Amino acid sequence: MNWLDFSSSSFIAAFFLYVFAFIFYMVAVAGKKWGKRDAKQHEARWSKIAFITSSLGLLAHLSFFFTRWIGSGQIPTSNMYEFITLLGMTIMIAYTIIHFIYKKPLLGMFALPLTIIIIAYASVFPQEVQPLIPALQSNWLKIHVTMAALGEAFFAVGFAAGLMYLLRVIDYNDHTKKGKRAQRWLEFTLISIFIVIGFIVAAFGFKGAGYVAQFQQETVDVSQVGELTTSYDVVEYTMPPIFKPYNSEALQVTEFLGMTDGLFETPSWFNGVNSGRKLNTVVWSIIVGLILYGIIRLIIRKPLGAAIHPKLEGIDPDDLDEISYRAIVIGFPIFTLGALIFAMIWAEIAWGRFWGWDPKEVWALITWLYYSAYLHFRLSRGWHGRPSAWLAVIGFVIVLFTLVGVNLLIAGMHSYAGVD
Amino acid sequence: MLLPVNSKCECGHQNAVGTVLCEACGKPLEEQLMKSNEPLEMRYDGVARRSQKANPDFLDKIWNFFSSVKIAIYLIIITFLGAMLGTIFPQASTFISATFNPKVYYSEQYGLAGEIYYFLGLHNTYSSWWFITLLVMIGTSLVICSIDRVLPLYRALNKQQIRKHHAFLKRQKATYSGQVTDEPVQWTKQYGEALKKKGYKVHIDESGTALLAEKNRFSRWGPYINHIGLILFLLAVLARSIPDWNVDTYVSITDGDTVPIVGTNYYVKSDGFSMELYDNDELPIELKDSGRVKTFKTDVVLYECAANCGDDFLQPELKEVKEHTILVNDPLRYKELKLHQFDFNLTPRINAVSPMIINKETGESYGPFHLTMVDPELYYEVGPYSMELIDKYMDFSINSEGEPITLSSSPNAPAFIFNIKGPNLAEDGEMFMYFPLEKDKVRFSQDTINRELANKLEIKVDGMENVDFSAATTYLNVRIDKAVKFLWIGAFFSMLGLIMGTYWQHRRIWLRIDDNQLTLGAHTNKNWFGLRADAAYALKRCGIELDPKSLDNGGHKG
Repeated sequence: MNWLDFSSSSFIAAFFLYVFAFIFYMVAVAGKKWGKRDAKQHEARWSKIAFITSSLGLLAHLSFFFTRWIGSGQIPTSNMYEFITLLGMTIMIAYTIIHFIYKKPLLGMFALPLTIIIIAYASVFPQEVQPLIPALQSNWLKIHVTMAALGEAFFAVGFAAGLMYLLRVIDYNDHTKKGKRAQRWLEFTLISIFIVIGFIVAAFGFKGAGYVAQFQQETVDVSQVGELTTSYDVVEYTMPPIFKPYNSEALQVTEFLGMTDGLFETPSWFNGVNSGRKLNTVVWSIIVGLILYGIIRLIIRKPLGAAIHPKLEGIDPDDLDEISYRAIVIGFPIFTLGALIFAMIWAEIAWGRFWGWDPKEVWALITWLYYSAYLHFRLSRGWHGRPSAWLAVIGFVIVLFTLVGVNLLIAGMHSYAGVD
Repeated sequence: MLLPVNSKCECGHQNAVGTVLCEACGKPLEEQLMKSNEPLEMRYDGVARRSQKANPDFLDKIWNFFSSVKIAIYLIIITFLGAMLGTIFPQASTFISATFNPKVYYSEQYGLAGEIYYFLGLHNTYSSWWFITLLVMIGTSLVICSIDRVLPLYRALNKQQIRKHHAFLKRQKATYSGQVTDEPVQWTKQYGEALKKKGYKVHIDESGTALLAEKNRFSRWGPYINHIGLILFLLAVLARSIPDWNVDTYVSITDGDTVPIVGTNYYVKSDGFSMELYDNDELPIELKDSGRVKTFKTDVVLYECAANCGDDFLQPELKEVKEHTILVNDPLRYKELKLHQFDFNLTPRINAVSPMIINKETGESYGPFHLTMVDPELYYEVGPYSMELIDKYMDFSINSEGEPITLSSSPNAPAFIFNIKGPNLAEDGEMFMYFPLEKDKVRFSQDTINRELANKLEIKVDGMENVDFSAATTYLNVRIDKAVKFLWIGAFFSMLGLIMGTYWQHRRIWLRIDDNQLTLGAHTNKNWFGLRADAAYALKRCGIELDPKSLDNGGHKG
């Protein structure tokens, strides 16, 4: 068995350990009313088991990371798969640190599913080791990427605690306009998470079924000197084409529910590389996500938030509020250093300018400005509790857009990060 | 806010106008505030900020505008929303081609949306007047917000009174009241000892029954140090627009050439550009044969001009100052100059040929002679022949009038016209047109141009060893950025302040004992969880055991 095989096995072990840890946390919370047990003792016991399991998962995850590093001779942070697994790992590190500060076990109930979703998402991307292109051959790759990921991981824990806070405090018996609005937005947030899960399920489902479709796309382009050029590209789909590429013809489409060609054509104003395929993927993610959500709604027969809310009743919302804020405060300097200052130093070395308004740079700056607004709202304007929790939730959406959205939707200097 | 007119506190301390909590004893000064029972707002310790003046004039109003944190937050939000707009379509600055026309590009590429984008000036978002104005306003706000708060805060923290007003203590967000059974002076001392173990500085007043324990006051200066760093950073960014402080040009160097770096006293020579690809056995299956690049590098020598610089007639005298192999992540650095690998072109370029002259009638050949593309000799003696160079074209072509022209000064299709004298040729010599490159010879039909002479003699290169060519051209990005060191200094202070202010918290615990009645109040700027634990730990040491959470007065936050 070589290093890389061992690394892959460790990754799978980490994944399952996280899943078990999550289940144990659920037992810790939901099992309090089982039989004649002492609720407090039960919770303490099971959350300890869950934390040990999640720590073992983190150990496996770390051994995945380091054995892959040894096996490939380069730090595994250079493509989408490696980066997103790194993010999952740093979230677990951040969670473990916060756990040691506050010893509030139930945070794991939200941090673990977040990590599980993230590393499952990572597995959608190609997993082979890709040797580094010249732009990435630098020691700053190690420092910049890991620090940025760790900072973002603390924001992720802030998000998890913020979301938990909202689920804890939003009152489902409140039928006023304001109460209804809060319930709707919270449900919308949960549905968004289901859409991400929908993407993962669809990607693995169709990959497992070996689905392929191919289209030939004609692109008319204007060169910088004003000449018209026409090029033909073959676009490969791994999900059935609800939206086929703009201006394209089907070469080969596996039949799916009677579909042998794209149902619709992607509008021309969708820009970017492979925009048709991306739109199609988004549409599938929404469909599968909504189906999953719909099934759960049918089973529980009430909003998801209303179902989770009572399970969190034993938790002090003030603790959640503080944990969310504290995680963000801890993450902010790390993010500043890793994602901005180290990025500027590296850019100065590699490209001769510390800042070039590249979309990825701009979005890192947007993230930073957003969280500094959050800190000022909190410290100087006294925004605590709900507004603060909502800001933590929205902030993580911005983080995710910076990490993944920019690469998928806007090309730029960082487009080498090996997406699809 | 109602400003109390008489700002003298009952404890005898004279406070500045706008003071919320007496600087000495902490008693709330506003009557309304005194009556309420809410936890006190402890921001800046309730001192008057500089901007709180009774009758602000025009300048004061501007000052007040920028001193508001609310305004600062709005500025931050508007800035990041504006920055988002700039990422919708690529910025015009990403196209370095001279022929790039944004007006055409955006409408052709993105249709109506692109046209609107261009019309609104969003193709240059980050250099637009409104974006720069926002950054300058944030900078102003940073300066004024900091000055407005840091001096009064410094004063307040520097002369803290130990014995605080009851209202001050009871209305802290962490507070406790209870009976002390021990001797009060002894109890206070014991409490102080317990907190000393936790790293607090403990002050007890002369009566021995009032205590102030304080920890990590330096963290209060963190935000201001951070802001000073950010101001330095922004100033450094602005300083880049000083002429000569920021040079950003490109040089292209064909292998073996030495070229001047325009705008500087330097010359740079390329000893060759090379590119290396990964072998297939180093690549995963799906990347095989993808031509993934392993290295780009240019070996260069940097010269400084010592004499005859910028002289049109004399060769400059060059002094070698540095040799370096430029890689993507390893530029050449010399003083403030940096040369970065930017691009390359693998089209070979011909530099010189060493052809033979062949007498076709006798079959004898003479030579070779050396013919350079740049600055060739004007006269050649080769065996019995003498040749005079009449004209040369570096990029030969025929225009619409049928006249020979050169399209550029690069030797893409070089052509030479010689007047040749020698055996069996006209006395005055005969004209011969010579294309060193075989493809041009065929394309422009050299033999037809030279007519009968083509049957008499030939100029021919014998083998590749007689051709001197450069394999590649490297493009280097020339950078001088004199502001960058100030930028790093700014970033350093910003980071230092950030760490001071976030990873440490200023914690204070006050208590007083009046006839065995203990009143305790505690404050921190963040992490109440930790503060309550400290206060409860020390209470436990003095025989009062309680859940730290019970100290909470509804203000655990922050």
